[in-house]
Amino acid sequence: MSEPMAILTDVTRCTGCEKCVDACKVEYELGDDRPWRGQGAIDDLSASRFTTIVNKPGNHHVRQQCRHCLEPACASACIVGALQKTPEGPVIYDAKKCMGCRYCLMACPFDIPRYDWDRAVPYVRKCTMCYDRLKEGGIPACVEACPEEATIFGTRAEMLALAKQRLSDNPDLYVQQVYGEHEVGGTSVLMIASIPLGFLAWKDNLGNQPLPDLTWASLKKVPGIALGVGGLMTGVYWIVGRRMKLAAESAEACNTIEPTDPADNQQQESESNHDQ
Amino acid sequence: MTSRLTILKSILWIIVGIWAMVTVARFTHGLGATTNLSDVTPWGLWIGFDVMAGVALAAGGFVLAATVYIFGLERYRPFVRPAILTAFLGYIAVAVGLLYDLGLPWNIWHPMINWQHHSVLFEVAMCVMLYLSVLALEFAPTILENSLFDRPLFRRILAVLKKVTLPLVVAGIILSTLHQSSLGSLFLIAPHRLHPLWYSPIIYLLFFVSAVGLGLMMVTLESLLSGYFFKHKVNTKLLSGLGLAASVVLGIYVAIRVGDMAIRGVLGGAFEASWMSTLFWFELCVCAVIPAILLAIPRIRRSIAGLGLCSGMTVFGMVMYRIDVCIVAFARPEGFSYFPHWTEFAVSLGIVAAAVLVFIFFVERLKVYEHPMDQAEIPTIGPSFDPVTVRSLVPAAVTAPRRYSLLFIVGASLAIAFLPQQAVLGTKPHYTPVAATRTIDGFVIENEKVGEPNTIGFIEDVGAIPAGAMVTPLIIIDGNRDGRLTLFNHQGHEDRLGGEESCASCHHLNMPMDRASSCHECHRDMYEPTLIFNHESHVRGTDGNQGCVKCHDPSSAVKSYETATACRECHAESIMSGPVIADPEDRWNSAVGYMAAMHGLCRQCHINKAEMTPGEFPVSLQDCRACHNANHTVIFSEMIPRVKNSESQ
Repeated sequence: MSEPMAILTDVTRCTGCEKCVDACKVEYELGDDRPWRGQGAIDDLSASRFTTIVNKPGNHHVRQQCRHCLEPACASACIVGALQKTPEGPVIYDAKKCMGCRYCLMACPFDIPRYDWDRAVPYVRKCTMCYDRLKEGGIPACVEACPEEATIFGTRAEMLALAKQRLSDNPDLYVQQVYGEHEVGGTSVLMIASIPLGFLAWKDNLGNQPLPDLTWASLKKVPGIALGVGGLMTGVYWIVGRRMKLAAESAEACNTIEPTDPADNQQQESESNHDQ
Repeated sequence: MTSRLTILKSILWIIVGIWAMVTVARFTHGLGATTNLSDVTPWGLWIGFDVMAGVALAAGGFVLAATVYIFGLERYRPFVRPAILTAFLGYIAVAVGLLYDLGLPWNIWHPMINWQHHSVLFEVAMCVMLYLSVLALEFAPTILENSLFDRPLFRRILAVLKKVTLPLVVAGIILSTLHQSSLGSLFLIAPHRLHPLWYSPIIYLLFFVSAVGLGLMMVTLESLLSGYFFKHKVNTKLLSGLGLAASVVLGIYVAIRVGDMAIRGVLGGAFEASWMSTLFWFELCVCAVIPAILLAIPRIRRSIAGLGLCSGMTVFGMVMYRIDVCIVAFARPEGFSYFPHWTEFAVSLGIVAAAVLVFIFFVERLKVYEHPMDQAEIPTIGPSFDPVTVRSLVPAAVTAPRRYSLLFIVGASLAIAFLPQQAVLGTKPHYTPVAATRTIDGFVIENEKVGEPNTIGFIEDVGAIPAGAMVTPLIIIDGNRDGRLTLFNHQGHEDRLGGEESCASCHHLNMPMDRASSCHECHRDMYEPTLIFNHESHVRGTDGNQGCVKCHDPSSAVKSYETATACRECHAESIMSGPVIADPEDRWNSAVGYMAAMHGLCRQCHINKAEMTPGEFPVSLQDCRACHNANHTVIFSEMIPRVKNSESQ
């Protein structure tokens, strides 16, 4: 299975029964919820809850889980490559590589990764779209558990087409947007709903630019800066050295010792700081 | 004789003592037990101060190396060695601070084998690692010059190191340029979280320029402080040169910061009346604007007071800039805040204190400063004998360590005394106390269609109560007051289940003197089980120590719950007969969490009714929706004025 897969969640069909949450808890042996500061409520996402239902006024039940971005900020931020985007779609986590810097928690635009704060040997915890089940040809546990087919699984192209079909079949019911089609470069979890879902991210409108592009804009300059600064410093050293030598020679030629002009030196020094 | 230096060292040793004990707690019980970090504040003081600000404070090393070795400004040479030593110790402090902050510090070497060219943090890590090596080589000659290493091998190493000084300096400048700026680039990936007054696509340039300015001011401050503590003369003429340079650099920093905001059109946000805009202006003025202006005035930058003020302001302000970007201006959901736990401060201060102690050690024993040290401060080696006083029998080399180890123990004891419980015993569940039940005046209209929930309304919402409605107080089941509630028609349930006779089906246990105790009286925590047995009051009620045998079997050596008389032996009347939930025979010394109790009781009864008498009750009675229906989403804040604080019936 190399075709990119995706989960489609239709919020209008969800009854909020939390069978997906239970299935996930069983699959990953997460146990009871462990309340911890930083959680607004017991059923917020946590190290012991990879997916949850956010209840909104008007009987809307919105499932929250890792969005498995096509160009994930967390994976690009990861210093050791513990978080990786797989060709199948899931963004997976390798606990053996992780060193626990938590830059992924800082970088995620959807506020997804959670940390084992109460443990002496903590790991990053988040949904992995049941990558192990996928490899064996299965489907994610949450999708399997959903009694209403509110959350379904298939190739991303299929899911996107289906979502758009539903939007056009029922234009009055749905907000005319497939959440995850373009946001931050697209995600492998698509959502359609009758209410705006902007509240699921840190910002209502994240834009369509993949976040890793922002850091790459600065990172790609690194070799240039390294060579530039190195060249500049060597050059300045050579010029300064030569000028001093010439000054010494001319001083010797004149057989007089001129005191160095402090104003000149000071100017040179402030220049140096410009250059750096 | 107590000199300034002795007092300083004494204070530092106390801090190091406190730090040592917190260290034990940090590595035994984890981050959660010793910090206030959480999923909404993944980076706190240890990253904001120890790493971000620590690296910037150590920028003086490469700035001075460049000034002297590259730009040939030889007269600043006296500052190079202290600056390099500060940088070296500073970067070691950064690495140590990082070990505390990393969740899995034993994996700190992983970046070396897992190269991630797309990660800014990877670039920072590699540069810092390499720069630390460069600094070690740059500082090594100072150690090797000591007479202790006056051997042919070390002399040869020293000669080689002196030959490669220039490549080392250039490498140091390149590495510093890269990682000082990249510390800013770390935040490029979070435009959604970093406040617009701090977020900038060229934040790396701001971090770099501010680091250069801060480096110059840090060297100045350090010279002033070492002048004060080691009592040597401060060369204000040279320092004023650094001051002028800093003035220019800080001016450039302000120009770039404000100019960039103006070009991108976000400068308007700085003039809104908000905490963030106030913080922005305060930080900008303290770290750069005021010092830049003051240092431009020759009279001020040539005075010790002027230099001290300006360098102090810049150091404070630039540290604040790093902390603002990393913590204060970094968004978290409403209602969550972060202030470091004292243990976090203890670690940060402890690392700084240790670094300062090592700095003093090197200054006292090596040729870091050109001036000779105050001889009184250097411990004399070898015992000296003075027949008049006993104290003089012990050489200074022994008394000083004795004094400092005592202070270390004082610090350690202080830390142990004040360590929070969770740092000593490990993390405990986060308790959420349950508040008493409240009611609101409402009415219920029974739905004729079987299987549909009844209609519930509030008296104040309607002019006239509809016909056929039952007016009754509705209980708000909302133990932790988080606004997510379920309304409970107590009267309706009582009527349906058979009047007063039915109390026992739900109220299974009574507190003393109660007829039907409310749920929250025993189920005291929202999620966690709590102890409800009060041993103290039982001791009092059974004639003190004479009463032990009334509950505990006298033949058993261990007096525990297991060997005690069952509660029901004395309190039979407290336990209702025939409750819906299982008789709490064994477990009634602790009550399950409120939520578990509610779900356990209500759901069990609903399931029983729906399954046993399908004709009478709809199947949907066992669904979550039976209780968590539209009422669940009532906007609670609007209801609050009408809520009665009285207990239910």
